[in-house]
Amino acid sequence: MKRKLLIANRGEIAIRIIRAAHKLGLITIVFQSDREPDALYLQFADEVIQAGDANDEKPIFLNPEKIVQLALDHQADLLHPGYGFLSENPDFAALCISKGLNFIGPSPELIRDMGLKTVAKNMAVEAGLPLVPGSNGPVGNAQAARDYADSIGYPVILKASAGGGGRGMRIVEKPETLERHFKSAYDEALAAFGNGDIFVERYLQNPKHLEFQILGDKHGNVIHLGERECSLQRKHQKIVEEAPSASVSAALRDEMGALAVKFAQKIGYFSAGTIEYIMDEDGSYYFMEMNTRIQVEHPVTEMITGVDLVEWQIKVALGEILTLSQTDVKIQGWAIECRVNTEDPQNRFSPQTGFIDTIHFPQDPTIRIETGVVSGSVVTPYFDSMIAKIIVYGSSREDAIARTLNALNHFSLIGLKTTVPFCKAVLQHPDFVNATYTTRWVDQVYTPEMLENDDDELIGALAATIMYASEYLQLQGDIPAYENDALNVWVLNKRLNY
Amino acid sequence: MFIAVRDSGKRYKIYLPKESSPVINGNEMDIDFVEQEDFHYAFDWKGKRFQCELVARDQNKAVIKVNGVEYKFSLESIFSYVRRGMISGGADKEQDNNIKAPMPGKIVDLFLSEGDLVNAGEPVLALEAMKMQNEITADCNGVIRKIRVAKGQSVMKDELLIEIQSIDV
Repeated sequence: MKRKLLIANRGEIAIRIIRAAHKLGLITIVFQSDREPDALYLQFADEVIQAGDANDEKPIFLNPEKIVQLALDHQADLLHPGYGFLSENPDFAALCISKGLNFIGPSPELIRDMGLKTVAKNMAVEAGLPLVPGSNGPVGNAQAARDYADSIGYPVILKASAGGGGRGMRIVEKPETLERHFKSAYDEALAAFGNGDIFVERYLQNPKHLEFQILGDKHGNVIHLGERECSLQRKHQKIVEEAPSASVSAALRDEMGALAVKFAQKIGYFSAGTIEYIMDEDGSYYFMEMNTRIQVEHPVTEMITGVDLVEWQIKVALGEILTLSQTDVKIQGWAIECRVNTEDPQNRFSPQTGFIDTIHFPQDPTIRIETGVVSGSVVTPYFDSMIAKIIVYGSSREDAIARTLNALNHFSLIGLKTTVPFCKAVLQHPDFVNATYTTRWVDQVYTPEMLENDDDELIGALAATIMYASEYLQLQGDIPAYENDALNVWVLNKRLNY
Repeated sequence: MFIAVRDSGKRYKIYLPKESSPVINGNEMDIDFVEQEDFHYAFDWKGKRFQCELVARDQNKAVIKVNGVEYKFSLESIFSYVRRGMISGGADKEQDNNIKAPMPGKIVDLFLSEGDLVNAGEPVLALEAMKMQNEITADCNGVIRKIRVAKGQSVMKDELLIEIQSIDV
């Protein structure tokens, strides 16, 4: 009998997982949330479960008991959590396993350990990974945080022990604002994770964010698939990612990768995982955290290694042996991912919701599109603002940048604003071209004026004038004096439209 | 003949003749008009496609989105432009700059009280939306005249949050 895989997620990643599952001959099941009943991913699954979550406080994807109950009702064998939602919730993983569902990911114990950053860091130190100077443990209150910060010097970063995705995280530049930031980080962490533990760490001024993709099986085999550079972030969330990184030489890749593998092996890790490092301007690097899920930016690694990470996640969960050895992993070419979020880069990346009137993606063999929407889709306020990813492959970094820019120029979305103009500005900026950009780029360098260009402005002036002139002439149409003035845009429009 | 003036002050003189391409700042431009729907135009120029959407319109002011980026223009016919030039110098500057909710969400914190002085760019409240706390800032210098919301309150998009009396000139 064919095995059934339930995907406890939505959007592009649900479709991505379905593709891998179908490759392995699995039957796929997804949830239809009442908050998004016409979502695109529903069309790709073999079975759709009505979640009936209209009156629930949280959408189905955040409701562990209901997910597991419905999974059992529909005879699911495996469960893929995707990213976000419950993907790194150890209690959820444990609940799945206790009910006989094969949870796709590492053991609940490891999800818990890696989720508690102080625990994860202690385990990393034991495996020989370097750490950023910091409290290495939760500080009890704002005063204790301030005392600690005063001792290591500003700026410092406050982090929720259970945090992720930028939530419960605050940078404090000066002592006076520490209390306010501590309080809001604490509140946010408590609300999001049910755990308000905060720790304090030295804040590196201009760091790069590098991460190593790990893949392990249940038989003790672990390999790494090289690094990704995800330094380009806004609000601590990644927006442009590339693999490999221009800041990592082949020798350094071997060194950092070997440390990551050693760590993963020591803790008995299996499934896909990511070891995050932060790199200082002098090239020294420190362990940050381990993510125990598939990541949004996993396609850039797939593009340069040819390895299907989601397929391997499923195979590992089924107990298969990792047949890839470290020497099988060959990094070829360069890949860049641009996230398409419905956010306004001209207005502090504030989220946009509403209808996507039309959306058009570039097409080319070197372009991979992962999308959760089509023309006519609705972007609701209930879920994340990322609607699609544009991933482009090139033979070199320079080639990849040129191809990505070209791809973005052939993207269009009518109805909502997106981060695409921002990605274009990034790819053209010398800091990106020279690969000197850091996680502080958006705060320190970016201005919304970078999104503008003279050609777009001129066309905007023309479009505005045509719209205005149309109405103006309608109003003035009866007055003979204007008729001879040769500015009849109705004629212009007709001529252009035939 | 029309004048489109960008919020930056940059000026475009645009002439739309019956029988030829648009003339912008004195140059005939080889711009093709390829699509038109109600609030959406598309042009081809320099081998590229330009998608334009009308985002907002208030009398002679228009916000146009070109390839995903917004540009603000005020528009006038050449006659009214000249006329306005002649009578300019008028007052009409003292205004209110009200802060509206940029997205639906929940007010988690208010940093200022009524009567407080506020600087442009200073955070006035924290709004939680889409899982994130967003600091909403004042976009002018002035005095907080009225706070329309309370901590913990849920707000709709565009709901009036705070009234600021601007002292900018």
